[in-house]
Amino acid sequence: MQCQCSKTQSDLSLLEPVLANYAAVKGSLITILQQAQEIYGYLPMDVIYHIAEKTGTTPARVLGVATFYTQFRFQPVGKYLIMLCDGTACHVNGSARIAAAVQEYLGVENGGTTADGLFSFSIVACLGCCSLSPVMMINEDTYGSLTPAKVLDILKEIQAKEAAQ
Amino acid sequence: MSIRIAVGKGSCGIAAGAQKVYDALESALQGSAVTLGTVGCIGMCWLEPIVDIYEDDRLAARLVQVQPKDAGIIADAAKSGDYSGVEALRITDGDSSFLTQQTRIALRNCGIIDPESIESAKAAGGYSAITHILKDGVSPEDVIECIKVSGLAGRGGAGFPTWFKWNAARQSAGDEKYLICNADEGDPGAFMDRAVIESDPHTLIEGMLIGAYAIGAKEAIVYVRAEYPLAIRRLAHAIKEARSAGYIGKSIMGSAFSCEFRIKAGAGAFVCGEETALIESLQGQRGMPRLKPPFPAQAGYWYKPSNINNVETFANVSWIINNGGEAFAAMGTEDSKGTKVFALTGKIRRGGLVEIPMGMTLRQVIFDIGGGIRGGKAFKAVQMGGPSGGCIPASLLDTVIDYKKLAATGAIMGSGGMVVMDEDTCMVSMAKFFLDFTAKESCGKCVHCRIGTKRLQEILTRIVEGKGRGGDIELLEELCSGVKDGALCGLGQTAPNPVLSTLRYFRDEFEAHITEKRCPAHTCTDLLHYEINADACKGCTLCAKKCPVGAISGSVKQPHSIDQKQCIKCGQCFANCKFGAVTVK
Amino acid sequence: MKEIHFTINGIPCTCEEGTSILQAAKLNGIEIPNLCNDESVRVYGACGLCAVEVLDDGRGKPVPKLLRACSAKAMDGYAVRFDTERVNQSRKIALELLMSDHTGDCRGPCQLNCPAGTDCQGYVKKIAEGDFHGAVEIIKEKIPIPASIGRVCPHPCEQNCRRGLVEAPLSIAFLKAHAADRDLEADTYRPQTAPETGKRAAVIGGGPAGLTAAFELRKKGHAVTVYDASAKMGGMLRYGIPAYRLPKDLLDREIAEIAALGITMKNGVRLGTDMTLEQLRSEYDAVILATGAWSSMAMRVPGEELGGVTGGIQFLHDISSGEGEIPDLSGKKVAVCGGGNTAMDACRTAIRCGADTVYVIYRRTRSEMPAEDIEIEESIEEGVTYKFLTNPAEIIGENGHVKQIKLQIMELGEPDASGRRSPVPVEGRFETLNVDLVIMAIGQKPDVSGLDGVALTKKGTIEADAATYLTNLENVYAIGDATNRGASIAIEAIGEGGRCAAVVDSVLRGEMKPYRAPFYSKKTVTAADLADREKLPRHQMPVRPAAERAKDFKPVNLGFSDETAIAEAKRCLECGCYDYHDCKLIRYAQQQEIHPERFDGEKNTHETERRLVCIERDNGKCILCGLCVRICDETAKQGILGMVGRGFPTVIKPEFNTPETVRVCADCMKCAAACPTGALKILTKN
Repeated sequence: MQCQCSKTQSDLSLLEPVLANYAAVKGSLITILQQAQEIYGYLPMDVIYHIAEKTGTTPARVLGVATFYTQFRFQPVGKYLIMLCDGTACHVNGSARIAAAVQEYLGVENGGTTADGLFSFSIVACLGCCSLSPVMMINEDTYGSLTPAKVLDILKEIQAKEAAQ
Repeated sequence: MSIRIAVGKGSCGIAAGAQKVYDALESALQGSAVTLGTVGCIGMCWLEPIVDIYEDDRLAARLVQVQPKDAGIIADAAKSGDYSGVEALRITDGDSSFLTQQTRIALRNCGIIDPESIESAKAAGGYSAITHILKDGVSPEDVIECIKVSGLAGRGGAGFPTWFKWNAARQSAGDEKYLICNADEGDPGAFMDRAVIESDPHTLIEGMLIGAYAIGAKEAIVYVRAEYPLAIRRLAHAIKEARSAGYIGKSIMGSAFSCEFRIKAGAGAFVCGEETALIESLQGQRGMPRLKPPFPAQAGYWYKPSNINNVETFANVSWIINNGGEAFAAMGTEDSKGTKVFALTGKIRRGGLVEIPMGMTLRQVIFDIGGGIRGGKAFKAVQMGGPSGGCIPASLLDTVIDYKKLAATGAIMGSGGMVVMDEDTCMVSMAKFFLDFTAKESCGKCVHCRIGTKRLQEILTRIVEGKGRGGDIELLEELCSGVKDGALCGLGQTAPNPVLSTLRYFRDEFEAHITEKRCPAHTCTDLLHYEINADACKGCTLCAKKCPVGAISGSVKQPHSIDQKQCIKCGQCFANCKFGAVTVK
Repeated sequence: MKEIHFTINGIPCTCEEGTSILQAAKLNGIEIPNLCNDESVRVYGACGLCAVEVLDDGRGKPVPKLLRACSAKAMDGYAVRFDTERVNQSRKIALELLMSDHTGDCRGPCQLNCPAGTDCQGYVKKIAEGDFHGAVEIIKEKIPIPASIGRVCPHPCEQNCRRGLVEAPLSIAFLKAHAADRDLEADTYRPQTAPETGKRAAVIGGGPAGLTAAFELRKKGHAVTVYDASAKMGGMLRYGIPAYRLPKDLLDREIAEIAALGITMKNGVRLGTDMTLEQLRSEYDAVILATGAWSSMAMRVPGEELGGVTGGIQFLHDISSGEGEIPDLSGKKVAVCGGGNTAMDACRTAIRCGADTVYVIYRRTRSEMPAEDIEIEESIEEGVTYKFLTNPAEIIGENGHVKQIKLQIMELGEPDASGRRSPVPVEGRFETLNVDLVIMAIGQKPDVSGLDGVALTKKGTIEADAATYLTNLENVYAIGDATNRGASIAIEAIGEGGRCAAVVDSVLRGEMKPYRAPFYSKKTVTAADLADREKLPRHQMPVRPAAERAKDFKPVNLGFSDETAIAEAKRCLECGCYDYHDCKLIRYAQQQEIHPERFDGEKNTHETERRLVCIERDNGKCILCGLCVRICDETAKQGILGMVGRGFPTVIKPEFNTPETVRVCADCMKCAAACPTGALKILTKN
């Protein structure tokens, strides 16, 4: 029966190689979800139902696992995901001021995405770069010893690069 | 003589610009005989990016805070052997003492070898311990005995004797056993596991191989945080290399011992650092802790006997095999043997990774090695053990680093986070910070943790917002002891520690917030009160210009004043006044 | 299999090796509190209620940590306790935390506002089902005289009825009267009495308080004697309430039902004259004073001593009893001073005695009157004249008999502590009325003669402890109008009678258990929350025409038909939790004193959903024990329920929580059966 659970219509064929590798390997649900998120940028509901069907489990269980971990998103995310560390060292060294600067400049709340779809902003647990605190990661790049001015320069640089393309 | 330049490229180094330095050096060295290589993190994070110049194996120059523009002079110095051009970049003797005061076992290769080369690791003695065990027929029992003699205890926080866990797993019936490495380093303020994996993955692999051999496991799994992409990449590369070299797979080095390795990336849940939650997560479930007993040694991964150790624990294993348990046990105190790695951060002058023998005092680590507090402020407390630990005040700085002695202060050894705080840190707000963390990270399974940490956080929040009520301290204490006694797993049982320890040493700060509605450290904005001292104010108008809400009024060359109703307590006026006319209470 | 010997709370227990302490306790007939455990699924350990302390591990040492009995195995020699201070504290915190995030009403607002705690929703439901005997069975857990109380009670239950937020409250009191009337007709419900205890109790005063105490003590198997100074039992119900509201033969039948349990009733015996308290104390194991408040309070105005000035209670006494002559007031003008229900009874009685004019003198306005509105309404219909904003200043006499009453004109000033605007005199403005009879109905106080040695309050009432009902004398208790704050409504006295009887019973059984108000979970409901409810008008009680009823003392109310009663009962919104009697959470929460309000904070706000085929899910009551999810997974093998999210905001949702979903549950209802609270309710299939 065709799943009608969601308005989204994702291209489920993209998931085939992942499912081919992992669907039959027990305990692989998190890995499958991680790779699905790599593909789609987030976890659309129809993908969750599809994974449940193909791994022989139920959507309730897949959703239960996916919503337990902070890595998983259920809304599309911006091209650049800003993860601002709020570990102890960063906290002590003023990560709150960095958060305020980013939020004001981009006009997004924690967990939000800019209207142009360029940036998503999220305050995360310790990134483990405590000596450079305050720290943030944008996608896989780490930026340390931030100041409100420095973080704005970084964001402006990305915006300029994107505008040029 | 061969000349080699090594650039430290751990995550922190790269964040500080090491990759750009590397790229610049690569072009500057084009066509020269000088080789350029990557090393991991030496642990002197405040000096990144760091570039080392080796003449053969001798460190000829360590250059710090290097910029890409320095590449030319560095290349010239390396090519000519004349270092006068880079003297300004050389590490100072003071900074060098950060390393010379340490005793490095777990970190012995970090920042020295190339983490992406098994040859580099082998040149530093990598895989010699497992080779000795398999070639010389050392029995698993003898391996466990050696670890027992060493006194090695779990470095993840609990400090449980490693040999005991290995032995329990070895004794458990069944062929299918698992060895798991917990690299879900989640304590905010701790990053030694990341550094080891990024800088010396083969030492971890070797330690795990020895562990797997000892307990009889055929499969080893490393559970790494997804937030550590570089560590995952380097570890995956190292596993591939080790497999090609015959250290991983079937009948390793021709012996009867076979072991497969794989990496499992975590997905963002602090509670998965708890071993039973980690197992649930490995099985693709919600990471909710299981009841113990049964312990993982009896029924762990897929309910088979499993052993879980932390990265740092494994990083010590091959050294112990090579040097003997006695050598390791010779270091430390009666209760705690060997060395321990600490991540020294916060308001410290020299922040980074420090490995010291057990038995040093906190003062030695923070002041002698770390150089004391940054910016001439006074030391207030050091937080150890993250969300499960506590704050140790200045009066206890001479406490010896040892599992029992630290526990007696109300803090714990933990995984080794040492966050140093100065006089500007509000301890109530620190307690709230940790409860914000644990409340957010609570898995939600047991009542005491799910609702208890939430309520603790709410009470602390109202205190820092100036809405604390009489009796709140007693309520905190009662709830803390309830959560400690009633929570299901280690996360919940230790979640109240940051509150209890700050209450123990800084009760007056809580009282000031509650009864006087005052934050002694001047950080809780809701309790701050800014005023302009009319005598000191020159009427320069700078504060009025900086005030984001227009709360400051006054004419040029006339004393200004703040409209308290409009003031949002951002502190801009205070920070910008050149005459010290703005006061904060 | 090896057999394990150990103790729980000092009781020797045995079990097979490998049995959990929780399971072993059960096998040995001991219940250790638990919410998340079910034998059909794997142990989980979430609730923490089964925490136990092992004081001796069999080798002379205590186990330092509390253990969860569901997972810890019983070991040889273990001394397990779940009644230590540490365990109680841990369980208390767990229950307080659970309740601090629990949104629901254990009991309806009707019951919570009933001074006797009557399960209104429970009996209304029985009435809706046409089961009048069943309804009376529920009522008689609290009220021994429901037909009488149903007629006279000012029904605080109806004040808080949430139907009032929709259109109008349920007619709860009249429903009770209807059920009781039907029950009295035939097959009258009579509760069982417990085996004789051999203990003896004396109750002094046969009013609502005393009768209830006697009834409850007798049910518990004690020998009870009720003494009353009047000729018949019933107290104020007989002598203070006019017959047009409560027919005395009905009261007789209800009292006869009480006596039929085997209670000795002695009338015409007055404490102090016919017997002494000391005699009673030596003769009985417990003495309960329920002597009432029979003296009218004086107004302290000149002329009070004149002939033709009387107290409301005195005026009503003989007439209401049906024993004395009914005075002929035809052609007379009567002034009743006061605004309470006694004033209403007095003025309407005066009308029925043929009075030409009856004034009610009240110093505030109608909206401040404490009397029931329907009483005011009906009295106006019957011809009573109201003099609002007036206060007696002087009673003027002639030849020693009242002739006029001088009234001070009042106006309303600032609100007082009770929120009512207090009346203040308008300087120099008076009004004088010609009257023949002045009835003072401004309050009552007890007559404490014969109570030698019993400590009194400043107000002159008997001082009784709020939790034990004990007076200063050992084994002497006091309840009702005679005590503490003084006279109140009958249902208050009934409530005290029942609670006092429970305390006395506990003492007679060897361990005093003071009354403790039970904990209930409550939620706030506004009109907006009920906006979607169908409006169903309240059924009005049919009454005789005013002109007709004002002439006699026959009942004003004509009563409901069965159909009307059933239809009215069906208006009930069933606010209280359907699962109250089976809910494990509330059972444990009431076993010890808890104060969840200490932890008031954010609550999860989840809507009630009716998405499962035949199950209504109220997530506000969910305690995340996970039983439904685990049973759906492990026992039903469906796996369609799941936990969503992490930590505090975690919520349990069925997979087909979207309307378009295609999968449906197997309808096995195992989840609802296992739910320890009222979060999952099985709906009747349609």
